[in-house]
Amino acid sequence: MPGERSPMEATTENATRRPRNKFIQKLGEPRVLGWIAVAFVLIMWEAIVAIAHLNPIYLPRPTQILIALVSMFRTGGLLNDLLATLGRIFGGFAISLAIGSLLGIWMATSDRVQAIADNFIAALYPLPKITLIPLLIIWLGTGGPFMLAISALGALFPIVINTVLGIRQCDPGLILAARDLGATNRQIIRMVLLPSAIPSIFAGVRLGIGVSIILVVAAEMVVGKVGLGARLYLAGQILETEQVFAVLIVLAILGVVVTKAQDWVDVRLNQWRLS
Amino acid sequence: MGEDVAIECDDISLTYSAKSGTPVEALQRVCFRVNPRRVTAIIGPSGCGKSTLLLIIRGLLAPSGGRVRFVDAQSNAAVSAKPRMATVWQGFNLFPWRTVSENVGFGLEVGGISRSERTARARRSLAQVDLAGFENKYPRQLSGGMRQRVGLARALVMEPDILLLDEPFGALDAQTRLVLQEQLAQLVEKSGTTALLVTHSIEEAILLADTVLVMTARPGRIAAEIHVDLPRPRSMATTHASGYSSLFDQIYSLLRDEVVRAMATETESA
Repeated sequence: MPGERSPMEATTENATRRPRNKFIQKLGEPRVLGWIAVAFVLIMWEAIVAIAHLNPIYLPRPTQILIALVSMFRTGGLLNDLLATLGRIFGGFAISLAIGSLLGIWMATSDRVQAIADNFIAALYPLPKITLIPLLIIWLGTGGPFMLAISALGALFPIVINTVLGIRQCDPGLILAARDLGATNRQIIRMVLLPSAIPSIFAGVRLGIGVSIILVVAAEMVVGKVGLGARLYLAGQILETEQVFAVLIVLAILGVVVTKAQDWVDVRLNQWRLS
Repeated sequence: MGEDVAIECDDISLTYSAKSGTPVEALQRVCFRVNPRRVTAIIGPSGCGKSTLLLIIRGLLAPSGGRVRFVDAQSNAAVSAKPRMATVWQGFNLFPWRTVSENVGFGLEVGGISRSERTARARRSLAQVDLAGFENKYPRQLSGGMRQRVGLARALVMEPDILLLDEPFGALDAQTRLVLQEQLAQLVEKSGTTALLVTHSIEEAILLADTVLVMTARPGRIAAEIHVDLPRPRSMATTHASGYSSLFDQIYSLLRDEVVRAMATETESA
């Protein structure tokens, strides 16, 4: 994990650190070192491709990729693709958060609903959702509803399962306390079960968004006309390798931003758990 | 509350089926009366069903037999409206995602009371238990003793006619326990509410209660009713007062046999 120290480093840090040149000392910082390594790989990449005269169809230089990336954003409409993909991911995700948490609450609070839903979930959860793409295309076509459906399907199961888990793990003492203070069943669900399940639901959200990203990009590669996946596939078909790399970079950055955003939300949600 | 409400427990029994399927008799025809504006303590060996009894009285658990009646203390007629009750729990049972103030205001919130009034009443209630200034802390940031004072404030803010205390200091260290016992004794004396205290501490029972009910090992029954007429206000000094040690011995000798019996049953089933 960047920014976290290994246990070994933490124990010996103060004892062995001798006064050194401040600049060199700064280079040795784990976080700085991580970025230096990235820069080093990029420079080596650039140099090797230039010296060995590699065909850019196989491996373009990082600077060429960067130029391709900028021009795709400025004139190639990559922003539209990015927005389309984001809309599909988060639109579908919002649907599965709403349906998933409601279904999860319903399952966790009723043994009958749980029994009805259990077999379906057992059958559908381990099924790779990507295999549902052909069926969904037959049902929904290849437009917006299909994209939202595939995105929602990806996030649904982790959210349902984690919601059920979170609610089942709620301390029964808290439910007794709420009843004692006069809470109705509805109030107990809203004010006790749901808040106590939030860390667990959010763990499901984390897993779910990851699956949604994979499914949306994959679906776009198969049938999309706009979207990062469609762009990636198209660039590959016409051997525009710089553009392939450029789209991969956008996808990687998207992944980093989503992960960091989740970390941030996680800290907010868990404020009461810390300290 | 214009009238004084007494609790009458008539032949309360509870039998539940254990995981193995064999029925377990937890409570057997428990009868007693809790007088208004008095503190009644229930003491018994662990597993005798004393906490279960509290849940039944609170209406959070249905007994297999018998009933709980709330009656007018003078006429013995059933009261028209159920008295207000609030419980203080051994495990505190505070909502960890709510601040201290929001915890205390929970009962008011579910009762539809406005935010501003909740905050004001929570602040007053917290001041009563010496926790002014801790309104915006989270339970995790507090010590065990402070958490239980939040639990007490959360019950007191409901202005209960009957305060139910389920081993309120059982999870605390011995010193914190002493101080809180004293504070609770003073609080109860001042407010004059009816209180029903479940405890396994003889000292706590004598210090706080006017009547001590000693329960038997499982299946729980009332073995004896002992009146504590030590003068109030009581404090730790009460433990040196004349009459204290004879009460202690009396309760201990009753309890000792039951604890031995409870231990024997445990060994059998283990």
